[in-house]
This record gives sequence, C-alpha cells and structure tokens, in this order.
Amino acid sequence: MNTIGFKIKKGILYFLLILLGIICLLPFLLMLVNATRSGSEIVTSFTLIPSSHLKENWDTVFEYFNLFLGMLNSVKVAVPATLLSAYFSALTAYALAMYKFKGSRLIFTVILIFMMIPGQLGLIGFYNLCTKLRLVNSYVPLIVPAIAAPGTVFFLRQYMLCVIPPSLIKATRIDGTNELYIFHRIAIPMMSPGIATMSIMGFIGNWNSYLTPMIILNKNEKFTLPVMMATLRASTDINANQGAIYLAVAVSVIPILLVFAFFSKYIISSIAAGAVKG
Amino acid sequence: MNWKKVVSVLLAGTMMFSLAACGDSGSGGSGGNGGGGTQGGEETGGGSGEKLVVWTLSKDLVDIGNRYKEKTGIEVETVVIEPDQYPTKVQTALLAGETEPDIIVGEPQMLEDFYDSGFFANLDEFGAQDYADQIVDYVWKVGQDSEGVQRAISYQITPAGMYYRRDIAQEVFGTEDPEEIGKLFADYDTVLETAKTLKSKGYRIFASDAEMNYFSGDSAWVVDNTLNVSQGRLDYMDLCVELYQQDLTAYASQWATPWYQAMAGEVPILSAETQWGTDDMNIWDEESFNEATAGMETTQVFAFGLPSWGVLTMRDNVKDTAGKWGVCAGPAYGFGGGTYIGISSNSKRKDAAWEFVKFCTLDEDTANWWIEFSEGDTVSLIPVLEAHKDDENEIYGGQKLYSFWMEQAEGIDYSKVTRYDKLIGDAWGEAISAIKAKEKTKEEAISEFYDKVQATYPDLTINR
Repeated sequence: MNTIGFKIKKGILYFLLILLGIICLLPFLLMLVNATRSGSEIVTSFTLIPSSHLKENWDTVFEYFNLFLGMLNSVKVAVPATLLSAYFSALTAYALAMYKFKGSRLIFTVILIFMMIPGQLGLIGFYNLCTKLRLVNSYVPLIVPAIAAPGTVFFLRQYMLCVIPPSLIKATRIDGTNELYIFHRIAIPMMSPGIATMSIMGFIGNWNSYLTPMIILNKNEKFTLPVMMATLRASTDINANQGAIYLAVAVSVIPILLVFAFFSKYIISSIAAGAVKG
Repeated sequence: MNWKKVVSVLLAGTMMFSLAACGDSGSGGSGGNGGGGTQGGEETGGGSGEKLVVWTLSKDLVDIGNRYKEKTGIEVETVVIEPDQYPTKVQTALLAGETEPDIIVGEPQMLEDFYDSGFFANLDEFGAQDYADQIVDYVWKVGQDSEGVQRAISYQITPAGMYYRRDIAQEVFGTEDPEEIGKLFADYDTVLETAKTLKSKGYRIFASDAEMNYFSGDSAWVVDNTLNVSQGRLDYMDLCVELYQQDLTAYASQWATPWYQAMAGEVPILSAETQWGTDDMNIWDEESFNEATAGMETTQVFAFGLPSWGVLTMRDNVKDTAGKWGVCAGPAYGFGGGTYIGISSNSKRKDAAWEFVKFCTLDEDTANWWIEFSEGDTVSLIPVLEAHKDDENEIYGGQKLYSFWMEQAEGIDYSKVTRYDKLIGDAWGEAISAIKAKEKTKEEAISEFYDKVQATYPDLTINR
C-alpha cells in the first residue's frame, strides 16, 4: 500500500513537472515555428506545424541588416562588460566583506542607494558626456560603466560573508601569502558560484540591453543585435515582418542558451565545494 | 602598502580594458566593411559634403536614399530606428548637440514637440515657399510650426476613406456610385440607419466597431489649452456603443483573423460573448476558427474605414473579392500617419540636405518612381497626382483612386490636430469600450476619462 501511494504521488509529481516543462518550452517552440511562417500567416492563425517561409524570412532579415554582424557586435559588448563587471564587483565585494576600514559602512550604504536609481534618468547627460569625450559611436560607454555594478557588489558581498570564513583568510595570511594572491587563489574560487550566477544575469542583461546602445550608436554597422532587430519593426505594414522578427529572435537567443549551459554546470559543480572542514 | 597595490592594479586594469575596448571598436568598423556590404564608406570626420546621414523611422527612406545615390552619386547613410524609440533617440542626440544626422523625420503626432525644441531647420531660408503650391495643402500645413515657418515636408498623403463592397451596395441600396454611397456615411445617425438597413438584409456594415475612428477627429481635442469634448465626439461614442449593443457589426476585432477574412467575403457572425473566442474557438487561429464556426450563420461585411495606405492592406487580403470594392468619403475628413522629412538644425551640410529633401518630396521623377516602387502609395506632389488622376485601380472596380484621395486631402483641416491627440484619444477609446461592454455607465466612464486627462496633462483646463 505504501508503495502504491508512493507511486501515485510520484506519478502526480511527474505529471506536474512534465506539464511545467511543456509550459516553459512551448513559447520557445512557438518562436521556432513562427520563424518559418510568413507575416500574414502569423497574424491570421496559430499552429505548431512549421510552414515554408524560412528562406523568405531569412532574406528579409538580411535585407534589413547582417544578423551575424549584429551578433559579433553584441558579443564585443556583452563579453567584456560581463567579465569586467564580474571581476571588479568581486574585488569590491571582497574588500567590503573582508577588510575593516573607516567608511566601509558608508561605502556600502552608498552602493545600496545607487542600486535604487534607474540608469535611464541620466540619459541625456550621459550622451552629453560621451560627446565631450568623443565616445559616441564607440563601445566604450557600453562596456566600461559595467565595472560599477552596485547590484552585483551587494549580492557578492552578502554571498561572501556566508561562504568565506574570516579564519580561513587569517590562516592564509599567517602562511605569508599577499592579499592579491589570497583574493585570486582563494576568494575567487570559493565565490565562483555567486560570480557565475551574477555573470549569467549580467550577460543576459548586456546581450538584451537596448536603450543605451540605441542612444549611443549612430552607425548601422555598429548596432548591437537588439537595436538591429528593432529596425524590423519600422516596416510600413506592421504584419509583414513578423516572421522575420521571430527568426531574428530565435537566432539571437542561441548565445544566451550557450552561456547558460556553460555557467550553470559551473554553479552546480562548485556549490558542493568547501575549504574548511566543519 | 596593500592598498597601493590594489589601487595600482585597479588603474592598470581599467587602462588595459579601455585600450582593449578601443581596439575592439576600431576593428568593429572594419568588421562592418567585411561583413556583407552594409556600408562601404569609412567615416572621415564629417568634413566632406559628399555624404548625408539620415535618421528615419520607416524603411521608405532607405529605398529613396539608394535611389538618390544612384542619381547623384552622393552617399546617403540611412539609419533606421524603430518608431517607438525614435523621438527619444533624436531628442537625446540633438539636445547634446550631435551634428551627425543631416536629415531627421517625424510622424504628425511627434512634429509639434520637435518644432518647439527647434530640431528642424527653417526650410523657408532655402526657398521652400516657392514650392508651396506643388504639395497637397494639408501636408504643407502639417510641416509648419505654430508661427507658420516651414520645417518639414512629406512625400505622401494619408487621407482616410470608406472602403465598401460594390456588389452589396448594388443589392441593398440599388447603386454602387461612390458619391451616393458616401451619403450613407454622411453623419453618425445616417451610419446607424445604414447599419440597420444592412442588417435587415443579412449583411453587417462593419467588421469591427472601430472603423469610424479615423473620421472622429473633426474637432480639436484641445482648444486654447482647454479640453474640448465636442458633440461630434459624443456622437461618435454613441455610434460605437449602438453598433456594438445592437449587434450591427460582425464583432471582428481590428487586425484579427475574422477582420482580415471579412475583406475576402464570408465571415461567421460572432456575438458580444464570443468576440474574443471561446474554449473551442480561437479567433487568432484560422483552422480552429473555421472548424468551430463551420455551422454558424455567416455574413458579409460592407465597409472598412482606413487611410489611403489601406489600399495596400486590402490588396494583400481581398482575394476573391478583388474588383468588387469601391472607396467613398466618410462622415468627416481625416488622415492617419505619414512621414515628414526635414533638416536637422545642427547639421553642417544643410545645403546638401535641402537637395535631398527636395529630391524626396518635390521631385516629379522620384514621386512617379515611388508610386511604382511602393505599388500604390499615394504621393503628395500635386503635378504627379494630377498626372495619375486617371489611373484606374482594378481591385476597386476601376475606380480612379488618386483623384479621390486628392479630393479627400483637400478637405483635411490640420488645425484640429494637437500633440495631445494620441493619449487623449486612447483614453476616450477606453471609455467607449467600457460603456459598450456595460462595465460602466456613460457618466462614470466620461468622468473617469476627465480624471485621466487631468492626471496626464495637469496644465490643461477641464470644464466638466
């Protein structure tokens, strides 16, 4: 009887999980199917059977812009921005969590406050600054500001307080290692699940970032992928490009899936790792 | 001592990364050149006059720009920005003193703000007024700021008309003449009568109840900084509610499956309850929709109300009813959309830019080519419209559409368009929807409409 109850429970559980899986995957499937359909098919009907307009949609996309160039541009922005953000946030968080110095609380409070200010507010001022620095049309204003990521610093500081025991750092210091060595060789590996999590978030954020690149970049060949894709919506007949938009979106999520696959493995593998035996 | 190290590493790291990033952006340009022929020319600082930069929100100008290059050899770099974000982009760049775009464009609802911010250069300085009588009057007026200075010109006109079925008109009203059918849409009361007549014969007047929307703007929403809800607006509201509550439309929502289907003929009659689909009927899905409505009573829809670009939408969807359509005037004059081209006030190449504006809007060759290239768009250049006024459009039973649009355009009074239109119009539409679905009484909905306008535009005077 126990086993039957268990089986029923398990069955229900499986059923629910499969249902959840279908619900999660359905939009992706729809996106892929719609990428093969023409604009008028998409607006007039709904189906999961692929149609025959893939080639047309592909041509439409390339008539508007070069999809691969857009991806390359997005990689050029998203990868350095993510790496910079991850490294410097970890550095800052390490300092805030592990050193006791005057004003550390004040700095932390300031960081918390900055987390609450939306970046869009200073858009015109930011553009002005970039004009004065002659940085309009370059990727620098999209990459360098990523160094200061208050949200990531906050998250990593809290995370570090949990996972790195101060005694461990002290022990290493007694062994005579210098501070940067401790940070690189001991703190970073221990924090890596946290860094990986924030990097995934950061990468997706940078990859999908639209407003700032749209404002800063003025040249077609420098546009990042989201800015390029938005131009598909500038067609005279709103419905005509629907299929092409789906196709572009479908191609553009591939890097995100890759990054996620890579980092999520990393998160799981290092969650179990520890340094001090309890 | 450690701090020194940390700081030095930080500084070195920043420098290294910014150098790397600069190197990146440098190679970005060459990657672009290698990357499949998007743009050939390397930018050389903007000194030369042999290049123009256009920021636009529709693909039209890309095609016209290419033709300009073919004709004159002057490089035109067209940057397309999606319409939603276009004002943000232009505002940010021009307020920061960006000299890059030589040509900027705008849709009617954006223009007033652009004029006030001084984004458009004064075209009168280039002698634009010499061409005043060549462009359809309302378009010319839309391109002027509040002081009457010419700031922008459009290459197209977008007057609204009623697209109706000639065969149904013949059967029900005994005539298919656009003049006569126009009388059936002369005012809102008549439209209601027409709708009832059609229903008694088994037809429906409209697919959706929003078809008269383009004609509803025959009074300004804001007069002397005061919200103006005219009798016409209230009549339009009543008409929508009546059409809906008396089952006079086919309950097809604009831009949904049955709405497109109605263009091609038979369409099942939905009801107020099923208009958004039911459990076994999805209005967005052709197959399931046909299946679920197989046994249902069908009807045919008499008319659609769309601007002149509706000609292109209809062309793609009428299928078997091609040739059975006609276009006539609605209860009022109205228009929807249009791209207006002007010169950025920060441009360093204004003379070259003016040549381009002239090419796009005032050149007969371009206008003729555009009519052909766009397969039936309606241009704003009077001599070309005159030349095409005898063109017969087969989908519309050989009707001479260009002369019709010209007549309609003459009646448009642009002074009724204000910058508040979009938001106030949307709020009014919401009020109408709430009333027709009997969610709110008319008083409640209108009072809520006032609240919303007051909250959005606190400076407006509102007399309840």
